[in-house]
Amino acid sequence: MNDGPLIVQSDKTLLLEVDHPNAEAARRAIAPFAELERAPEHVHTYRITPLGLWNARAAGHDAEQVVDALITHSRYAVPNALLVDVADTMDRYGRLTLTKEGLTDSPEGTRLVLRTTDRPVLEEVLRYKKIKPLTGERLDDLAVVVHPSERGTLKQELLKVGWPAEDLAGYVDGEAHPIDLDQADWHLRPYQQHAVDGFWHGGSGVVVLPCGAGKTLVGAGAMAAAKATTLILVTNTVSARQWKDELIRRTTLTEDEIGEYSGARKEIRPVTIATYQVLTTKRKGAYAHLDLLDARDWGLIVYDEVHLLPAPIFRMTADLQARRRLGLTATLVREDGREADVFSLIGPKRFDAPWKDIEAQGYIAPADCVEVRVSLPDGQRMAYAVSEPEERYRLASCSDAKLPVIEKLAEQHAGEPTLVIGQYLDQLHEVAERLGAEVITGETTVKERQRLYDAFRVGEITTLVVSKVANFSIDLPEASVAIQISGTFGSRQEEAQRLGRVLRPKGDGRTAHFYTIVSRDTVDADFAAHRQRFLAEQGYAYRIVDADDLI
Amino acid sequence: MATPSRSLADDIRGRGDAELIDLVLARPDLARPAPADLTSLAARAGTRASVQRAVEALDRGHLQVLEAVVVAGDAAERSVLLHLLGTDDAGTVDAIVQDLWRSALVWRGVDGDHVVRTVPEVLGTAVAGLGAPMRELRPSSPPEHADPDRIRATVAEAPDDSRAMLERMTWGPAFGVLPAAAPGRTTARWLLEHHLLVPVSTDRVALPREVGLVLREGRLHRSTELTPPDIEARPVSLVDAAAGGAASECLTHVDELAAAWGADPPRVLRAGGLSVRDLRVTQMSLDLDPEHTAFVVELAYAAGLVADDGEVVPVWAPTSEIDEWSSSEAGHRWATLAVAWLGSTRAPHLVGRRGTGTGPANALGPDVQWPAIRAIRREVLRELASLEPGSAPDHASLRERLAWRRPNRSAAVLDEAVEAVLRESEWLGVTGRGALSEAGRALVAPLLPLLPAVRGDRATQAGGGNTSNGKRAARGRGDRGSGSGGGITSTEQTPPEAGAVAEGVAAAMSAHLPSPVDHILVQADLTAVAPGPLVGGLGSFMRLAADVESRGGATVYRFTPESVRRALDAGWTAADFTETVRRSSRTPVPQPLEYLVADVARKHGQTRIGGAAAYIRSDDEAVLDTMLASRDLTPLRLRRLAPTVLVSSADPRVLVDLLRDNGFAPVHEGQDGTVVHAETPRRRAGSRRRGPGPMVSPVDRPYTQTLVDGLRAAEATADQRRVEDETRPGPRILAMDPVVTLSLLRDAVADRHGVWIGYSDGHGATSRHLIHPQKVEGGRVRATDESGHEKSFSVHRITGATLES
Repeated sequence: MNDGPLIVQSDKTLLLEVDHPNAEAARRAIAPFAELERAPEHVHTYRITPLGLWNARAAGHDAEQVVDALITHSRYAVPNALLVDVADTMDRYGRLTLTKEGLTDSPEGTRLVLRTTDRPVLEEVLRYKKIKPLTGERLDDLAVVVHPSERGTLKQELLKVGWPAEDLAGYVDGEAHPIDLDQADWHLRPYQQHAVDGFWHGGSGVVVLPCGAGKTLVGAGAMAAAKATTLILVTNTVSARQWKDELIRRTTLTEDEIGEYSGARKEIRPVTIATYQVLTTKRKGAYAHLDLLDARDWGLIVYDEVHLLPAPIFRMTADLQARRRLGLTATLVREDGREADVFSLIGPKRFDAPWKDIEAQGYIAPADCVEVRVSLPDGQRMAYAVSEPEERYRLASCSDAKLPVIEKLAEQHAGEPTLVIGQYLDQLHEVAERLGAEVITGETTVKERQRLYDAFRVGEITTLVVSKVANFSIDLPEASVAIQISGTFGSRQEEAQRLGRVLRPKGDGRTAHFYTIVSRDTVDADFAAHRQRFLAEQGYAYRIVDADDLI
Repeated sequence: MATPSRSLADDIRGRGDAELIDLVLARPDLARPAPADLTSLAARAGTRASVQRAVEALDRGHLQVLEAVVVAGDAAERSVLLHLLGTDDAGTVDAIVQDLWRSALVWRGVDGDHVVRTVPEVLGTAVAGLGAPMRELRPSSPPEHADPDRIRATVAEAPDDSRAMLERMTWGPAFGVLPAAAPGRTTARWLLEHHLLVPVSTDRVALPREVGLVLREGRLHRSTELTPPDIEARPVSLVDAAAGGAASECLTHVDELAAAWGADPPRVLRAGGLSVRDLRVTQMSLDLDPEHTAFVVELAYAAGLVADDGEVVPVWAPTSEIDEWSSSEAGHRWATLAVAWLGSTRAPHLVGRRGTGTGPANALGPDVQWPAIRAIRREVLRELASLEPGSAPDHASLRERLAWRRPNRSAAVLDEAVEAVLRESEWLGVTGRGALSEAGRALVAPLLPLLPAVRGDRATQAGGGNTSNGKRAARGRGDRGSGSGGGITSTEQTPPEAGAVAEGVAAAMSAHLPSPVDHILVQADLTAVAPGPLVGGLGSFMRLAADVESRGGATVYRFTPESVRRALDAGWTAADFTETVRRSSRTPVPQPLEYLVADVARKHGQTRIGGAAAYIRSDDEAVLDTMLASRDLTPLRLRRLAPTVLVSSADPRVLVDLLRDNGFAPVHEGQDGTVVHAETPRRRAGSRRRGPGPMVSPVDRPYTQTLVDGLRAAEATADQRRVEDETRPGPRILAMDPVVTLSLLRDAVADRHGVWIGYSDGHGATSRHLIHPQKVEGGRVRATDESGHEKSFSVHRITGATLES
């Protein structure tokens, strides 16, 4: 028996013993095809999925390498059925290819063709009701014409039926525009450079980096590589402003070259930053701003926070398959389970690094995660017990028993930049009042928000109370303490974002603190358990303390 | 060899002991019941039933040579055989003919080799797809119609369409239906007119054997395959480790099956078997694909670990064997399964196919019973055992080899069964990554002494006058030293002696089963990983205290509030729990786990539940006081829960009876609201341990030796009598086995020879007659007697017969 660090389970999960001397080599060997599912401190769990295997094929790995990686590092014999399955699955990729072919009768015309090396596969996929209409004239036994506008939808449907097409149709270069990184006083970190290279090499795809690891710079790097007009899609206006600031600071782009396309402004410039919201706005049943996608001959489209990409944008994106697409995200986990759509429409995962690795390299701050449990007073317990199920979470998470704890924690970390994050406005206002701090909610104007952020950044104010508007893409470099008082039920994605708020590296290398305050024996604690499982799976061990011990 | 023989019986009488032993070993059916003497042995060897068995057991090489011997005719030159077979490998052909002689399908006469008379009957008219000879098809036809040269010349002249029609019939079937209309009719007419086809009825024609042979250019078979096709194999590594892993999983599956069925046994269908729905439920709980599930179910059944419990409403339940099985060492547990599998006549791959009834075949049902699968399973394993250790066969070439071994089996059915056997071996761990594992080899070992190769080699030394070692070596080429030898493989071998084999198998497998580990790795996300099978105590603790999340080489457990509560319910205290985890874990116990345990423990027991079987409630507290005070009611162990409620652990019916006896007037209140404490019943069917089975001693060498000795003794007595007879006039007619008589009479008919028979009349008196038999059929012999009158004799009245000297 081989003494490897890896145990291959029959349910296609891989257990990697982290403390094993060969763990690093094994991790490198399996990372291209296995998705890291959980990374707690001792044994990491990877999963082999068809998507992951196809990702690996797309990145140029073959089944033999995968099988070899499994056998070499496995402690026990790898179930043969699994090896056969791996080979079979990987063999399905590339049987179908999408290519662009010149037309003989009209020299400048080209058409998109779905080709196969294996006739039965083509016959099989063409029998699907959803696929047949996406194709046109049958050229011969092995090829069929595809309507260019259906390129994305076709890829999506083919993936669903288990015959992913290799897209060799290439990309349009788009309208050229000079963009360079201005690396006078900074440099891309090595992993950021790897991410840019990985993306550029593959053409399209998703880069997964933890919050605070500098995804914006990966975007900027990709733009500098493309040197073409770029459309950046972000979640909201604040995020759009930050992208703009960051691009002006880090690249040769000037303010005039960058346009903002949002509810307030409709500028179309060589580099245009648009919000998801404006794109999905409907007027009289039609998307009013779809023209933006065709407004210029975009050479690159960047999707920020891919895991939040709304479904309509997916549909729009299906039409943009000829353009290079870069997705940025902290986690491929989508609460709606549409990971496969990300794969087929934006592209395979091109780069991924475990959080802890980047933390170990000092690029993100180490974090101390603590769950503080408060007991509800008897009166509230009674009220909770008799409340309607839909009211329970609100009752439990907004308990005023949490207030002294918040105060105590704020006091302990006095002087350190502290964020108090919550879900319910009443609660936030109450907390703000007790702490004497400002509140930022969805109602706060953009101008006011910017003012507060700036003040926070320079240290004029050390405590901010924020609602879930702060979940995404705000950049608060010096926040080192986050206190979570209520959340969107058990959202793991939200937990990742919130933890990300404090993970940006601190000037003095301080440890970040991440507190979650929950009410004992209620749904609040159940949801917290769900979110903490996510933390633990990301490698952040957490402690549980009693409020009484704290105060 | 002794003196040249005139018949099969002579030939057999002339064989040496070793050769006789070989014959009986090759055709064990000859030994049962033990024949009286060599003559009856010979007669039995010539019966249709026995020949049929022997021919069915031939591999393609032997069958082809046998067909060639039949077509070549009696005492044909070796060169004719070689020509028919289209080979110049005389050594191989000689060796095969020798094998056929050894198994008494061919006998050696003064003039050369003859096939035993019943062989052509068994092979049928269409030997190798050829039609019957011209002479048989049309007795009146002149001999020149059968002349190859004439046929060749005629064929050369044939119009194209006629020749095309001939070509279609060349490789059989050698029959055709006449086309109803022109032009086909005209085409056929040309052939009929030129005697290339012979009409057999108004609309059917036959291609005579002679014409067929010419069209085949003198060859009998399209491709002559005298030696077995090679099995392509590729070396694989980690075979035993893979097999060990599979074996370990297989044990887990059976454990889980037993646990699932012990708690909730599925119904036995009226026709026997497990319903499709129950199989699916089982499949869900085992998390396997349907065929694999059926395999696990059938395996447990074959090993006697689950059975029909035989109750009024019968269910499939684990048998009492399971507890003993579960507690034995893993290697032994596996050996039990493997031995049962090897001997089982059940074919799980048939589950879900259309059965004999209306619906699909059910697992454990009668349609899955298929005795042939056992022979196929053994043959597959033998072929695997013949490969170098650590090499996995290419499935297609293995299938081809087996098809060569069994030319009489339907290829599609055989291929499917072979694939199924290979899959099952992999699941069970008999093979690992396609190659036979060490334990698998130990399992097959008892079958190997009966391997054709081994027997063939021995025979070469014992009686192989015609066969030089060099020739044998030539035959063995490309065969990796196995399997090509004897053509006769006995299909019915007695199962190997279970106990001894199981020991060896268990030992072989134990070494490769993943060794149990005594520690776990506990992590902050409240999972614990056991990096291998856990040692007993820890294993049961973890199963109790955590939920299994993933299985395989390792097991991933997750601690949840429910699982912790389960452990506390089972009597663990929070402190013991944490301490056990701490002691077993190689990693520090994460604080959230301790917190979880403490948290669950805090809430545990806030509500109390007792194990009462019955309650007594009464608004009159005084009545209850009386009951509590009553000495006669102490056995009920009444306890007061509330002023108006008593509980007892006695059954409500007992309670009611006893209270009535003591002058109370209780009323039984029905089940509503009562808390019935009952452990989930684990049903056990009675033991289905398969006994040693009917005691059949194998037809092995010692047995055969004894048999042959007996035959020799009988023969000596007969010779003695023969000597005595010579002193008296006329032949002495010995009482004979009717089989012998019949075959002798048939020979006489064929050779137009006179026979002395003993005939008992209606009064029981025996008389002697010299007759010339003409026909034997329907239990009667038609013959002319001494006076030249035609008479008919009942065969059952003929006491014996001997040829006229």
